[in-house]
Amino acid sequence: MQRILNALLQFKNTVLYLFLLLLSLLFIYNQSPFHGFSLEKYGFYFSSKLFSTSKNISAYFNLKDVNKKLTEENEQLKNFELKEKDVLLYPEALSQKKRFPFRVVKAHVIKNSFQNQRNFLILDVGEKDGIQPEMGVISANGILGIVHSVSENYANVISILHQDLKVNVRTTSSPAFGSLLWSGQSTTEFHIEDVVSNAKIAIGDTVITGGMSSYFPLGIPLGKITQLEKNEGSGYYAIDLSLFSDPSQVYNAYVIENKDFNELQSLLKKLPQ
Amino acid sequence: MKPSYIISFLLLVLLQVVLFNHLHLFGAINPMLYLLFFVFYRFESDQTLLIAFSFLLGFSIDFLSQTGGAHTIATLTTGFLRPLLIRNAFGITVETPQSFFSDSRILNKVFFLILLVFVHHLLYFILAYFSWESLILILKNTFLTLIFSLLLMGVTLSFYPGKK
Repeated sequence: MQRILNALLQFKNTVLYLFLLLLSLLFIYNQSPFHGFSLEKYGFYFSSKLFSTSKNISAYFNLKDVNKKLTEENEQLKNFELKEKDVLLYPEALSQKKRFPFRVVKAHVIKNSFQNQRNFLILDVGEKDGIQPEMGVISANGILGIVHSVSENYANVISILHQDLKVNVRTTSSPAFGSLLWSGQSTTEFHIEDVVSNAKIAIGDTVITGGMSSYFPLGIPLGKITQLEKNEGSGYYAIDLSLFSDPSQVYNAYVIENKDFNELQSLLKKLPQ
Repeated sequence: MKPSYIISFLLLVLLQVVLFNHLHLFGAINPMLYLLFFVFYRFESDQTLLIAFSFLLGFSIDFLSQTGGAHTIATLTTGFLRPLLIRNAFGITVETPQSFFSDSRILNKVFFLILLVFVHHLLYFILAYFSWESLILILKNTFLTLIFSLLLMGVTLSFYPGKK
């Protein structure tokens, strides 16, 4: 106590000065509305700085929640987007009430391989989430593969980077379809086979899913044509394609469930083999 | 505490409020004579008392001329900084004079007055305008008022009888 008093006495001039300064600031604040306003402005500036800093910090810790919400929103939007694309390609469909049998389930890629010739992915969704074998898997900007097998919590997916996987595709401009096949080299380089050579196709055309398989709905954008060669002898094009997004660098994925899958399969079985 | 301090205090406040605050030289310049109090107040006298005095001085002028609080803060701060100004003007190595009038070095005295008035006026105009956009205006007013305040103080001091 004595020490505090001594210190106060030692700096009594400064203490007195600061005290009187505070008093005069209060005086100026009350006397003049302009100064009051200016002082309030500074006070507001500092408090807003402080507030925004604390807000930034808490926002950082909320990012996980925000991400979760965003992917949920994406799931819904993806649903809408797929429906919408269907309509854009067939405008006349607008007038009819059209069934859209696909449903989207969001998932995360937890294991991804791309160095082999036959690659697989593992997703963090499984039987519990309604995932079944032979469902399509897409990313925000392209397709990832087809579900091969499921456990309770996880799903094993045949990657699109797989030598034996062929996906039905077409271009936005021409309804002629072909099969997408990985070239086995770069993760974004693909070939398209079996497109008849009288189809009107040009370099730079956007390639989308064809909707002829029961795995993927029509109109998911995949990539752009980079090379085009007409093979007169076979009557087919040899097409090279570059994907929009690299399937080896994907975290958020969406599994597409086709509600009519079993119906279609049973129908196919009735065909004479 | 000398009664002469109180007399000069009252006289300076009265002169400032009644006369010099209504001068409006060249439109807006009001020389501030009341800073002479910092000259009359002896250098050896109590610093704590000076701070209290300077607060009262500024407050009285603010109160009587209905100005915000710029005089109070500027005068209080000048009073608080006066020992520093004295050391700067008269030097630390030489023995500090007991009062303004006991020193015979004209140049140091003038320098002290300039420092005193400059610090006070700069603070006063910063507080009066209170915005960085009018910085040029603040500096212009500071220097113009400084010239007239110094002239007025010089004239008043020349009437003052020699040693006190």
